[in-house]
Amino acid sequence: MNLRDGRRTIATALMGPWRTAPIIISLVAIAIFFNTQSSLFLSSRNLTNLANQIAVLATVALALVGLLVVRQIDLSLAALAAVCGGIAAKLSVESNLNVGLAIVVALAAGAAVGVVQAVVVNVFRAPAFVVTLGGMFVLNAVLLWLLPATSVIPLADTPLEKIANTFVPAWLSYVLLLAVVLLFAGMRFAHHRARLGEGMPSNLVRSTVIPAAALAAVGLVPLIFVFNAYRGVPTPVVIVLALMAGIAYVTSQTPLGRQIYAIGGNPEGARRAGISVPLVTTVVFATGGFLAATAGIMAASRELGVSSANSDLTLLLEALAAVVIGGVSLFGGRGTVWAALLGSLVIGSISNGLYLLNASTQMRWTIEGLVLVAAVAIDSTISRKSGAQRDS
Amino acid sequence: MNASLLEVRDVAKSYGAVTALKRASFSVRSGEVVALAGDNGAGKSTLIKILSGSISADSGEVRFAGEPVSIGSPNDAARLGIQTVYQDLALCDNLDVVDNIFLGREPRGPWWRGFRVRRPRMERLTADALASVGIRIQRVDVPMGHLSGGQRQCVAVCRAILGDPKVVILDEPTAALGVAQRREVLDLIVRLRDQGRGVILISHDLVDILKVADRIVVLRLGETVADKPGAEWTEHTLVSAITGATAGEQR
Ligand SMILES: Nc1ncnc2c1ncn2[C@@H]1O[C@H](COP(=O)(O)OP(=O)(O)OP(=O)(O)O)[C@@H](O)[C@H]1O
Ligand SMILES: [Mg+2]
Repeated sequence: MNLRDGRRTIATALMGPWRTAPIIISLVAIAIFFNTQSSLFLSSRNLTNLANQIAVLATVALALVGLLVVRQIDLSLAALAAVCGGIAAKLSVESNLNVGLAIVVALAAGAAVGVVQAVVVNVFRAPAFVVTLGGMFVLNAVLLWLLPATSVIPLADTPLEKIANTFVPAWLSYVLLLAVVLLFAGMRFAHHRARLGEGMPSNLVRSTVIPAAALAAVGLVPLIFVFNAYRGVPTPVVIVLALMAGIAYVTSQTPLGRQIYAIGGNPEGARRAGISVPLVTTVVFATGGFLAATAGIMAASRELGVSSANSDLTLLLEALAAVVIGGVSLFGGRGTVWAALLGSLVIGSISNGLYLLNASTQMRWTIEGLVLVAAVAIDSTISRKSGAQRDS
Repeated sequence: MNASLLEVRDVAKSYGAVTALKRASFSVRSGEVVALAGDNGAGKSTLIKILSGSISADSGEVRFAGEPVSIGSPNDAARLGIQTVYQDLALCDNLDVVDNIFLGREPRGPWWRGFRVRRPRMERLTADALASVGIRIQRVDVPMGHLSGGQRQCVAVCRAILGDPKVVILDEPTAALGVAQRREVLDLIVRLRDQGRGVILISHDLVDILKVADRIVVLRLGETVADKPGAEWTEHTLVSAITGATAGEQR
């Protein structure tokens, strides 16, 4: 094997199962760097806070992954998050509605806005970029109408505040992890049995035991060394992880997931295979709106109040940066839930670390921008070297 | 003599100012291979896209098993039992071989199993189908984009035959194939016919057409200009009909 073949093999591996390796290495490097600068960075308290902050970013990033995979985008996500946070706050605090109900209304509103935008995109075959840009303007206006420029709805000591400031007790976190690991092992085992049933080779240890053990390890490390060393797992983190697990299941295990990726890979091919492209894109937009609403409610809860200043373009841009860093293709068809998580961790930890170092906003944005460009450059190089550039 | 399974009468289709089909008619019976021949731009692909529900005709009639039908979508075609290998293959480069073959009709578990796709089953059926067309692809879980042109074409053929179709439409299925694979696909066409399916074959390779077709229909400029049993054609008469050089049909 000559050198060029070797390089190509590595690049192919990086495109496939090892896609996340460079991101994880970068995360470790970021952690080591900031810890040498400030011993606070790796403290369980700071990491818990970091996780709580990242929950909002990761939720918006999650919405973007689905949209980008089906060759769409939603620029109104951050504005929608603010509006839905405002709706939940207004209903539960000012109108004294039951919190649970207020949250349901806000989530439904988010999904409904997603559906409306999807319908406009599908019916007029209009580019989502422009439709959702218009949507962003309208939603900012709605926010001002909901919460006039000077008004703030304080959320301290309200039930909404509890979301971000409730921690799951240690025992419960271990029980939850055990349940997830068992569920995962059960699914792997069913797959293993089904393979044997079809007369195909399958190894119990490799198909079930090792992946389940790996998942348990990946879950235990942050539980023991971060969350339970401080006050437990913040509720938003549990919510985001549950949403991610659910969406990961749908995208990787169900026909709907195949349809989503197929549309991203070849919309005309998907259509000829009998897939309703407008229906599937509408589902993705609605899910995006629902996730934006979730993010908005979590942000309102964490910031202890909502105001019209909550519509934060930086959130959208950081989420976009996060998914690109995570390896989502801007041309559709490629990207996973884990991209949203890992990319958000990169962006979130850089931002948090620089904040701890008292770096200026200019400095933070410069570094985040450079990291984003570097990530795209590396990503493009890898896809070119692996010869898999056909998709763009 | 059995009746036509799928029949097209006087179908027309224009794209704006371009008339792709004017008066195209032909039919295929169960257990028959009908070849559609014609020059580039004669309207062959347009005709089969109408039959597979991916575009709709401006006028004309389509009958399936004697009944007039309207094929408004790819799902309608699939329900009737019409499967198509498109000229551009219509595959998704980002999905693997298995997912491409089962796209839009994945076997899945019940709701209480979370609608999970039956991946192991899909993998075995894929391996069997690939073996039946004699193609060797080392792994069925590589993305489609990593396969060669001929391998891609074979995957598209497998996709069509796994739907257990009554009519199989193949738009230039051998265009990218090597000698051995080409023979496999031609054998497959004969096998499909012997299983009692109707086969519609589009190809520019006149030798292939003459070898396997029971009937050859020639399209020229969107019109059916000839329709005769395969044995009555020679390479020479076929070329004349396609190019319009036959004295009787010249205009
Ligand atoms: N989507 C389209 N828009 C406009 N014109 C089209 C479209 N598809 C086909 N045509 C036109 O219709 C005519 C018939 O095209 P078609 O693809 O059916 O030809 P064909 O017989 O399959 O040719 P080939 O042997 O090259 O595949 C051509 O003149 C082509 O330019
Ligand atoms: Mg054609």
